[in-house]
Amino acid sequence: MPYLLKRVINSVLLLLITVSFVFFACRMIGDPALNMLGPGANDIALENLRRAAGLNDPLWLQWVRYMGGLLQGDFGVSYRYGFSVIPEADLKDIGVPVVDLVAERLPATFLLAGVAMAIAVPLGLGMGVIAAAYPRHLADRLVTVLSLAGVSIVQFWLGLMLIVLFAVQLGLLPTGGYGEPAHVVLPALTLAARPIGRIAQVVRSAMLDELAKPYVVTARAKGVAEWRVILLHALRNAAIPIITMIGDELSALLTGAILVEKIFAWPGIGLLIIDSLSRSDLPIIQVSIAVVATLVIIVNLLVDFAYRIIDPQIQLGRKA
Amino acid sequence: MNYLRSCGLGLLWATGSALAFAAVAANAEPAHGTLVVAVNQEPQDLAAQGTYKEINATGLRNVVETLIAVDPVSGEMRGVLATGWERIDGSTLRFTIRQGVKFHDGTELTAEAVAKSINWVWSPEKAFTIQEYAGPGEITATAIDEITVEVVSSQADPLLEFRMTLGGISSAAQLDNSPEEHFDTPVGTGPYVFGEWAKGQYWTATYNPDWWGLGADDAYGTTKPAYSDLKFVFRAEDATRVAMVQSGEAQLGMFPSADECARAANAADYDCVTGPSTTYLYGRLDHSLHAHPVLADPRVREAVFLSVDIAGIADLQGMASVPQGQLGPKGTIGFNDAVQPYTYDPERAMALLAEAKADGVDVDALNIEVVGRDTTPRIKPIVEAIGAMLNISGVETTIKVQTPQEFNPRVRIAGYADEPDRQMMQVHVKGNPSGDYGLLLHSNYACPDINDPKGPSRSSVYCDADFDARLFEALASFGNDRNERMKELVRYVHDRHLIVPLALLDRGYLVKAGTEFTFGTDHRIQAVYLKPAE
Repeated sequence: MPYLLKRVINSVLLLLITVSFVFFACRMIGDPALNMLGPGANDIALENLRRAAGLNDPLWLQWVRYMGGLLQGDFGVSYRYGFSVIPEADLKDIGVPVVDLVAERLPATFLLAGVAMAIAVPLGLGMGVIAAAYPRHLADRLVTVLSLAGVSIVQFWLGLMLIVLFAVQLGLLPTGGYGEPAHVVLPALTLAARPIGRIAQVVRSAMLDELAKPYVVTARAKGVAEWRVILLHALRNAAIPIITMIGDELSALLTGAILVEKIFAWPGIGLLIIDSLSRSDLPIIQVSIAVVATLVIIVNLLVDFAYRIIDPQIQLGRKA
Repeated sequence: MNYLRSCGLGLLWATGSALAFAAVAANAEPAHGTLVVAVNQEPQDLAAQGTYKEINATGLRNVVETLIAVDPVSGEMRGVLATGWERIDGSTLRFTIRQGVKFHDGTELTAEAVAKSINWVWSPEKAFTIQEYAGPGEITATAIDEITVEVVSSQADPLLEFRMTLGGISSAAQLDNSPEEHFDTPVGTGPYVFGEWAKGQYWTATYNPDWWGLGADDAYGTTKPAYSDLKFVFRAEDATRVAMVQSGEAQLGMFPSADECARAANAADYDCVTGPSTTYLYGRLDHSLHAHPVLADPRVREAVFLSVDIAGIADLQGMASVPQGQLGPKGTIGFNDAVQPYTYDPERAMALLAEAKADGVDVDALNIEVVGRDTTPRIKPIVEAIGAMLNISGVETTIKVQTPQEFNPRVRIAGYADEPDRQMMQVHVKGNPSGDYGLLLHSNYACPDINDPKGPSRSSVYCDADFDARLFEALASFGNDRNERMKELVRYVHDRHLIVPLALLDRGYLVKAGTEFTFGTDHRIQAVYLKPAE
């Protein structure tokens, strides 16, 4: 079976397991209707919601219905947005389709992750290369300290500090929000800190290994320019772990921007998940997590194929 | 003759010009730009019934108005879309509808439209959350003629006027033609017309040049609308709401922490305005339903309450004061001046416990589970402090802070049977905005029925037939008789040591320098109470 097909089948299975796990986990945290409407809700409201959302049915039937809907592209409707309990209307008629809500948020998530990576990759690469090119020099030590700080700094604190500095003190950037280019700067910087540090550390380590190899000594002996040795030979050969790290970090940005999105009121999928969690809006939680899981699977697939492009000797799916 | 005609025409011209000028001046676009308010949560929806909410639908009253309202400055009830009202009998109110008012979709405000809106909002079948303020009977409305609406409760309801201050009146045409839009595109009669709701970010409204209040002598508010646009921006993080006001992005930031308010005292470009709310932090002990028998002894319950340093808890809460031993401010119908807060006295508490033990009460089994919900501000240090205070008096405790998913089912009658012999002290917040003890006494102390878990007292843990009989008599009473009956009941429950009021919460707003904000106990952020400083 071709490697691609095998990976796709594996990914779909993984996705189904993830979606099912989330489905059951969401129902283990108490009565969804009560969690959604709160202790003040009367029983008519609770019953209306249970009926409209099919929560009175056995769990297995809810799961079958949910999975059947997923396979047909029906992701359900939000309990929350546009929904209030009207007995004569069916939830499907008045609720907002979850897929619309999630699709509304995805561009914001992609934009934030994209800008953060656009900051992190060149900076991390540059810092790592410089550190490897000048080991044990001041530049190396500076990169080591900065990358360590980037990895260990608490995003919540960093975000607030950036707001205080750039929005409150200097008045250069907005405190949060979405819609204009200026809005993305502070959240992207906050998000980029960790990938910058991790990429710089991996690049430094991989480059140091490569620069110590005989082919580099040979190239230098042949009089190849140092920049060519570093950038065209060593960096290319060090690319596999670096690409793996960038893939990991991109996945983390897609899944782990919840805190940053909350601080900066960035209307991405992370904010949608946290908001939906607080209101037990199960359809949104389920679909959002499924979408995030899909994105992570796609990123991992792309990383696999990037290996093949970088090193044609790698035969995907074959044992060494 | 010509002279007279000229004079007449001149007078007519002058009068016309003056009227036109006055009209233009009255309807002139407000001189100031957008009022930005940083609110702490996104609304669940913007349905007209949400005008009763203080927090969840902040700003909605700028778009959707009510028939009558409690003036946030004077506390008096005043007409809004009703120019007058009279009580026909214990269960009936008759409202005269303001004439010449139009909804934002251009349709007329008629008695029919008002009746339709009231019936929609208060329909038990629709079961909107406003039902938590529903009275003893079902509320229905009927148009008597073109300008008169009769609102009837199926049972005598002394608080019917108060209930009419809660639910908003929205376009009947929208309810008829596109009810699904009712939830996210409000169409009201207010000084601002709904603009857009960017989910997860903000909602906006624009100045309404046709607002009835521009030409009315009895319009509410301290000023005509001063802002051309409103923007309610959702910022869940306290720190970012503060930063928005500090940076000038917002003129108003809702509900800063006590620390942020203290910092504002030293800031030049913004201030923190605080004032009392009608919301209380309280501790409630399990009592009659599935509670551990040790809590049946009043000495044990009193000992628990005497062990709590209420002033310390109010201080720990921040922006709060010590309540006067009851869950309502002075002026509330039924407020009892003779009731005083529990005095912190661990020695007396220990003596009471020893006395109970000597009488055979199983005091050694006492292990109070002090539980708070994690959505309550500063709840973790508060329950920890209460636990430590009880320990000083020799009372064992278990401390828990739970999510709403864990906490909510535990405080409803349907969940009590799951935990026999429980010794829970629920530390929670509750508002009492009605100006009357009726709702509060009913929901907190009337015996709930396990077979009727939808009853208004579904969260009560107290069963006392004598109390219930007196409560229902009091609920049906009016005037001074009602006040006296409620006062007696407030004393009655206080003497049985069922609930300890811990703090009367203040609410605070960060206000950017240059903005005048009239503060009242109403926290609904109506722009007509805000204006740029002169």
